[in-house]
Amino acid sequence: MTHQAHAYHMVDPSPWPLTGAVAALLMTSGLAVWFHFHSTTLMALGTVLLLLTMYQWWRDIIREGTFQGHHTPPVQKGLRYGMILFITSEVFFFLGFFWAFYHASLAPTPELGGCWPPTGITTLDPFEVPLLNTAVLLASGVTVTWAHHSIMEGERKQAIHSLTLTILLGFYFTFLQGLEYYDAPFTIADGVYGSTFFVATGFHGLHVIIGSTFLAVCLLRQIRYHFTSEHHFGFEAAAWYWHFVDVVWLFLYISIYWWGS
Amino acid sequence: MKMAALGKLSQALLRSSFGQTRRQLSAAASAGHAENASRTWKILSFVVALPGVAVCMLNMYLKMQEHHHEQPEFIPYSHLRIRTKRFPWGDGNHSLFHNDHLNALPGGYEGHDE
Repeated sequence: MTHQAHAYHMVDPSPWPLTGAVAALLMTSGLAVWFHFHSTTLMALGTVLLLLTMYQWWRDIIREGTFQGHHTPPVQKGLRYGMILFITSEVFFFLGFFWAFYHASLAPTPELGGCWPPTGITTLDPFEVPLLNTAVLLASGVTVTWAHHSIMEGERKQAIHSLTLTILLGFYFTFLQGLEYYDAPFTIADGVYGSTFFVATGFHGLHVIIGSTFLAVCLLRQIRYHFTSEHHFGFEAAAWYWHFVDVVWLFLYISIYWWGS
Repeated sequence: MKMAALGKLSQALLRSSFGQTRRQLSAAASAGHAENASRTWKILSFVVALPGVAVCMLNMYLKMQEHHHEQPEFIPYSHLRIRTKRFPWGDGNHSLFHNDHLNALPGGYEGHDE
């Protein structure tokens, strides 16, 4: 048996970065094909390949960390750096859409009627479903913190309950937003108001779905005894991501739903 | 030996900033014991967070009673209902979450509404 004289993880060769790159290529070119030639085959193929890549790559990481012990403290530190950098990049992603919103809304053009909301736009009441959505996400932030402490204290049942509650709240948010989208008196095609509203809230909703999925995977892992009270970085990463999603919503709520109404 | 010391120093620095979140949360939660923080957050969940959601749900229900969806008047503004490019689905004229009662097409509301 060969031994390594350091605490770092020299990863075995893996095909998943390549399949992921191919998936990205197929999805993007597939999107263009869909728009111009009305065929969804390429895009669907890319999506399937992406899902397979994600499943297998993360499965391998769990095998390497949880089952094979490769995630020593220095390795975990690197993973923490990575997650923080990733979330930071996502912050900048959303910053762009907020920039677009404020650019359009702070100096509304004559075409819109020189006002914000533009003439003819009936906005959503920020104190109906949007307020409920805010309460739902804030509550989920509390329950995910309960889950974290439960894991740290070795409270297995409580961890499962609180994590499940968090995920259910996430699903409830998505459900409510779906309802809102259907019941909105304006569409994405209603000028810059529609564009900024649906692109910003749409990407946020996608991130809620991603975050809920991440938490659901953590729930499965908690049930299967993957986490210890000292070592559960996968869960921490999911919780960080979830808090990030919550904070983005708060900015969306204040800017677009409340100030922009 | 120097490498080990440097490693330990950077590790301590990093641990302090990453552990800060946990410490901050624990500090916020610990009215007394930090070990029992899970109980604190459990109480917060059931006494503050979930009732907060329930209150908002009630508020919503009451507001819904007051007004059912009035259809906004249709005025054919040129800055709304943009159709410079067809939607890549259906007849290309309906948005993804199109609602016949509330979303007019460029020509006006569809179907049975006036």
